[in-house]
Parts: sequence; C-alpha cells; structure tokens
Amino acid sequence: MKKDNKPTLKEVEKAFSGEMIVVKDLHKSFGDLHILKGINTTVKQGEKVVIIGPSGSGKSTFLRCLNLLERPTSGSIFVDGVDLLSLNEKGVNCMRQRMGMVFQHFNLFPHLTIRRNITLAPIKLGLMTEEAANDKADELLEKVGLFDKCDAYPNQLSGGQKQRIAIARALAMQPEVMLFDEPTSALDPEMVGEVLELMKQLAEAGMTMIVVTHEMGFAKEVASRVMFMDDGQILEEAPPQEFFSNPKNERTKLFLSKVLI
Amino acid sequence: MSDFIEKLKETFVTDDRWQYLVRGLGNTLIITVCAALIGIVLGFIVAMIRSTHDKTGKLKIGNFLCRIYLTVIRGTPMVVQLMIMYFVIFATLNSKYKIIVAILSFGINSGAYVAEIVRSGIMSIDNGQFEAGSSLGLSYRKTMFFIILPQAFKNVLPALANEVIVLLKETSVAGYIGMEDLTKGGDIIRANTYQAFMPLLAVAAIYLIMVIILTSLVGKLERRLAKNEKR
Repeated sequence: MKKDNKPTLKEVEKAFSGEMIVVKDLHKSFGDLHILKGINTTVKQGEKVVIIGPSGSGKSTFLRCLNLLERPTSGSIFVDGVDLLSLNEKGVNCMRQRMGMVFQHFNLFPHLTIRRNITLAPIKLGLMTEEAANDKADELLEKVGLFDKCDAYPNQLSGGQKQRIAIARALAMQPEVMLFDEPTSALDPEMVGEVLELMKQLAEAGMTMIVVTHEMGFAKEVASRVMFMDDGQILEEAPPQEFFSNPKNERTKLFLSKVLI
Repeated sequence: MSDFIEKLKETFVTDDRWQYLVRGLGNTLIITVCAALIGIVLGFIVAMIRSTHDKTGKLKIGNFLCRIYLTVIRGTPMVVQLMIMYFVIFATLNSKYKIIVAILSFGINSGAYVAEIVRSGIMSIDNGQFEAGSSLGLSYRKTMFFIILPQAFKNVLPALANEVIVLLKETSVAGYIGMEDLTKGGDIIRANTYQAFMPLLAVAAIYLIMVIILTSLVGKLERRLAKNEKR
C-alpha cells in the first residue's frame, strides 16, 4: 500500500525480526468437530510455506483462519505483531487488505468484466483513483498474460485463466502475504502448469506465500519450507529437500509413499 | 352488427363514458408505480436485514420485527389490509387523500413479497462471493452492495416482474375504499348502462395490454443483464 514511503518503525522492527505471521496454539472447532488442535508456527517475510496433508487434515481451515474467514475457537494469530483476534471488524478488514487470498474455485465476480474484477476493491476502498486502478489492472493483466481479456467476463475464460485473474485481483491490493487455498485443485490437468508458473514468478519476486496444495512438484521446487498436517496438527516442518528425501514422522512417510511425486 | 355498434357507442361514447376508463387507468397506474417503488425499497431493506441475520447472526431484533411484518402481511388478505388502513388507521384522514392510503397499503403489502424474493436471491449467491469480497478487505456492507446484490437482483428479476404484475392486477380491489381505479371505472359504466359485457371486456383488455408491455420491458432488461453470460 505504501511501498514508496519511508519505512515506519514497525516495518523496521519487522525487517529485523523478519516474523510476519506468528501462530500460537490455534484451535478451531465446528460444533463438536475439533478441526485444528493446537497449531504453532511462524512465517518469516519472504518465506514460501507449502502445506500438504491428507484431506480433512485441517490445512484449508488453518489457512482460512489466517485471514479470519474462519474465526479460531482459541489461540492467537499475530500478523506484523498485531493480534488479529483483538481487532474489531474495521481492523480485520484493514488486515485482510494486506493478505491476498486465492481460492480453489476462483470466486471471480461473474457480473463484472475482468478489469472491474481487479479494480473493484482498490477503488471502493478508496486506495486508488479509477484511473490509477485501471493502469494497475492493465499492468497486472500484462503480467499474467491476459491483457486481451480485460473486457471479457469471467464465464468466458478457462479455469486456468480464471485462476490467473484471481491472482491478479489479489495482487491489485499490493498485499504483503499471499494465501493460496488449493489453487490448482479445480483445474483441468493441462491448465495446472500456467497457474503454477505464475505462482513461481511471484515467489521469485520475493512474495511471502502460504500455499495449501497437492502439487508435490511445486512444493519441491518453490517452497522454502514444507509443512505436513494431519488430524489438525503440524506433524513435520522441514525444507523441501530434507522433507521429501528424509521424512522423520511415520505418518509423513506413509503419506509420501502414497502420493506420486 | 348495427346493434353491436349501438352498444359500443352507448358504453363508451354517450356521456363521454370512456373518461371513466381513462381516469381509472390513470389511478391504477399511479397506485401501481408508487406502490411498486415502495415495495421494492421496503423489500430490499427487509431482505438485507433478514439475510444479514442469517449470515452473521447480527440484527436479532431487526430480524424479529421483519418476521412479524412478513407473517402479518402475508397472512391476511390484501383487501382487508386496505380497509383496515383506510377505515381504521387513517379513519380521520380527509377522503381526498385516499389514493395515498391506497399507495401505502399496496406498497407495504408488496414489500413483504419482494423481501422474500430478494432474500432468496441473496441466499442463492455462492458463499465464495462473500469470502472473495471479505478477503479483499471489503466490509460486509460493501460486499453486499457491489458484489452480492447486483448478482442477486439479476437472478430474481423474473420473480420481481411477476410480483409487479400481481400488484398491478391486485390494485383492482382499490374500489373497496372508493378509489376510482380502472376496475371501478368499468363498474360505473356497467351500472349506468346495464351492460356488463362491453365495459368488463374493455377493462380486462386494458389490464392484459399493460401486463404484456411490462413483460416485454422486463424481457429487454433481462437480456441486457445477461450479457456477462455470453461465451
């Protein structure tokens, strides 16, 4: 949001400590169903964390807790030293502006053109004038290679194109972290590549990313840390080389032996 | 044949009787348009309160009041509501304002039906749309206005049009409080001429034509709103 300004004190502190997101003893239940059972982790600035694990393990729920799409039952989440659960609604909305999210089912706005999809939030939140937002949108569309689709509607695009637009839409808010919730799971196999390629570019540009995915190849190549979750807990965290070649946890071994790499 | 023309003349031309129909049509249109506007505004407000309650658990009191409103309005006949408004609630009002009472009654009645139509439209929008709005930092209200309502409106347009058609025809009971609407106009002619066939058929035809015009206008609007579905 304020990339060109001088760094604030908080930003300087953050740069030294480097801790972007700190999660402490996070629990989440849906009624009697205990989904997250005490998550503790820290994500540093610029880190690319890939979360893998069997379905129902709580990966997505954990990711959705990070921007409070799900409200944790207990525990705390600090983003930039601010406790998310202590914020009021306005504070939460401000925090969400700094955390982009990409969904499995894209969730583009079908009634708006691609360009309006991207510019809606920056304009309506008063962050950019319409002109500036349009310029930004054009720049982003160029980046994701879909400039020619700017006046099309989401239903006219393929799945892969939709997901690239969804990423562009999140980037238009100039977020500091990007959360990806199984971004390629709803895509035809042949369209997975284009989305992963874009995510790779984003990673190389230094974006802090937390990605829930089943793409082991992507985890190997891009992750700075792979996190394995099962039954609402983090069972193992390690850099990808170590994680894939020498997993410590029995459950991790079993999982890895079952997925094709 | 000459008998037919004679009847036609007696029904519409003698004593300028056609003016009953014209004046009646004017009143019918005024009541319908104004009541539809009130109904749509009221309906949207009630729908927002109800769906906000359903989605977030807030506005408990508002939701409770809305439910009472819906139950009472949908549970009693329009004619009875109209008469209660005119003969009980506004009993002391000068009768030259009866058109305002009629507009208010029909508007409040229509609002209850519009509310449930719009609410069904809001609830039919995928929750992912709310989440996408929230994840971009948009407040609940902004998400509602810029993302959910435009889509919901498009989905419920046929049902809304239906409601307006029902409203247009329902205004024919305005005669119960002495309003000279289209139906009443025809009735006056019938009473004066002792002819039922001509005036009633004319009234029916005029309603039919108005509904056909309305339907085609809504059809145009629907096609315009559907432009994002072309592939």
